Amino acid sequence: MATGFLTDTTVCIGCKACEVACKQWNQLPADGYEFTGDSYDNTKQLSGSTWRHVAFIENPKKRRLTGDVDLVALAEDVKEQLPGGAELDALGRWTFMSDVCKHCVEAPCQQACPTGAIIRNEFDNVYIQPDVCNGCGYCVPACPYGVITQVPEDGRAFKCTLCYDRQRDGMEPACAKACPTDSIMFGDVEDLKVMAEQRVAELHNKGYTQAYVYGTPEVGGTGGIGGNHSKFILMDEPETYNLPKHPYLPQEKVRGGVIASAVAATVLGAVVAWAFRD
Amino acid sequence: MAEATRESAQERNGKVETSHYPETDPERKDKNYYGVPPIKHAHWTWQIPIYFWIGGIGAGAHLFSTIAGLLGHDDRALQRASRYTVLVTMILSPILLIWDLGRPERFYNMFRILKLRSPMSTQSWSLTVFGTLSGLVATAQAADDGLLGRGRIARLAKALIPEKLVSVLALPFGLYVGSNTGNLISATSVPLWARNWLFMAPTFLASGVSTALSWLSLILNLTRSGEEKTLRALHRAEKATIVIEAVLVALSLGRMSRWSKPLFSKEVAPLFVGGALLCGILAPFALLSGEERRGKSMLASLLVLAGGLAFRFALIRGGRISADDPEAYFTFASGENAPQPEDKV
Repeated sequence: MATGFLTDTTVCIGCKACEVACKQWNQLPADGYEFTGDSYDNTKQLSGSTWRHVAFIENPKKRRLTGDVDLVALAEDVKEQLPGGAELDALGRWTFMSDVCKHCVEAPCQQACPTGAIIRNEFDNVYIQPDVCNGCGYCVPACPYGVITQVPEDGRAFKCTLCYDRQRDGMEPACAKACPTDSIMFGDVEDLKVMAEQRVAELHNKGYTQAYVYGTPEVGGTGGIGGNHSKFILMDEPETYNLPKHPYLPQEKVRGGVIASAVAATVLGAVVAWAFRD
Repeated sequence: MAEATRESAQERNGKVETSHYPETDPERKDKNYYGVPPIKHAHWTWQIPIYFWIGGIGAGAHLFSTIAGLLGHDDRALQRASRYTVLVTMILSPILLIWDLGRPERFYNMFRILKLRSPMSTQSWSLTVFGTLSGLVATAQAADDGLLGRGRIARLAKALIPEKLVSVLALPFGLYVGSNTGNLISATSVPLWARNWLFMAPTFLASGVSTALSWLSLILNLTRSGEEKTLRALHRAEKATIVIEAVLVALSLGRMSRWSKPLFSKEVAPLFVGGALLCGILAPFALLSGEERRGKSMLASLLVLAGGLAFRFALIRGGRISADDPEAYFTFASGENAPQPEDKV
């Protein structure tokens, strides 16, 4: 059975409980007190010591605010014209996304790893064996999502383990457990896929036609990566969430590169032999 | 950028209604997340470009001396210079690579597996094989030169090591070491590198051979050794490889297209344009094109060697800039630009 995450960004409230739970359970060090000024996001990005990161995207209102916003009407999902021409979404809205390792089906980091430290474990998650990794750092530029990162103080590369230890004991990962709105769901990838499709259909019915699933081979493009075990329901272009529209598997081109090198080597050898002519 | 966005937002609305105009303004064309790089750059410091440089020299020197030997041209001075060069580069290369590891004491984990899809894995293995074989050849050379004394060890080394056969066996591995450095950087998500997967390794190999030929001719010129024929062949090969290198660099730039911008940025342009192109390709070619003179040839050799080093530093630094640029990565990974699995070689 392959396990994974489904992160439904439409119900994320940006509480960062997942970030805290992840840090606590996995005993990850603090990242310091940096003040980025980028909305309420002072974590900034995923790193070797941050395996869940909540992105804070501010979508300002599209039109001028002409009246008061009726918060009661907003809460009661009133559809009709509001007094004073107030708009329901007039204040604009937040988009939050709890980002995490995508656990690619064909993981570039795993293919890049020369020591075999990065494996697929029995839950079909991409897992770094910390006792094998020798910190060559080659997985870091290979990752198309900028997830896996080397920790300078330690030397090795780290990323989300999908709480391998908790899964072994039959528990769900710490972030999914802590999520108060069930924005983070954990389970069998096949089940999550069905749930994601249902949720997107539901959102489309409600008029949010921009909703889609990111991380399936069919939608959101995952060239060569074969889809992700961590899927996301997104409401905007992937780039808004700092995700590539069409990630691809860098190792696809190794064979071509080696053939090109062989041709080049033959030509250069011939040139050297030609230089000896007399 | 943020300033411009703010001003245009104010203009559009006619008046300021709120003090807050976040970066994710709907009118913004360049969608990204506060400019945070979507991918992480490689941590590689100076050890890696230096390794790329000396690895290329080792591979190129081995190619030249082996082909000379195969053609029946046994110049002892050339063989000696080449074999000791390869030995030194193959001792330094692993030292530099292990130095660069986050956990150097675990370097041997590289040999747990062989992964053909990981250039880092095949590089470790090819370096080991090439290093061992060229070490054997260098041992035989040392026995020949009397460095191992005149006793049994020297006699055994000479009797047991078939120099020519081992040199030929080592050749493919050496060439692999010299070219694989290009595949190593192109098999990543960094736009500047990944975009040029086709010409990266050939360019690195051509540049490696060019620096190696320059090194050999510099050594032979300095020691005033080497046969007339060797020097002539070196001179010819040098000129030809510089031309090949120039063509490959041009093809690479064409393939990198808009993602080659970091190479011409303020930080990298002195290295790439000044170092690699002017000092490493144009100037030595001009020097070698005129009449042959020892001083001129030595100057050209030094320029090629410096240019080769600058080229490698420029590509590594350019890759860092490319990885840190959200716009570069997002345009690269937007579908039509990224190399796709269905692309044929």
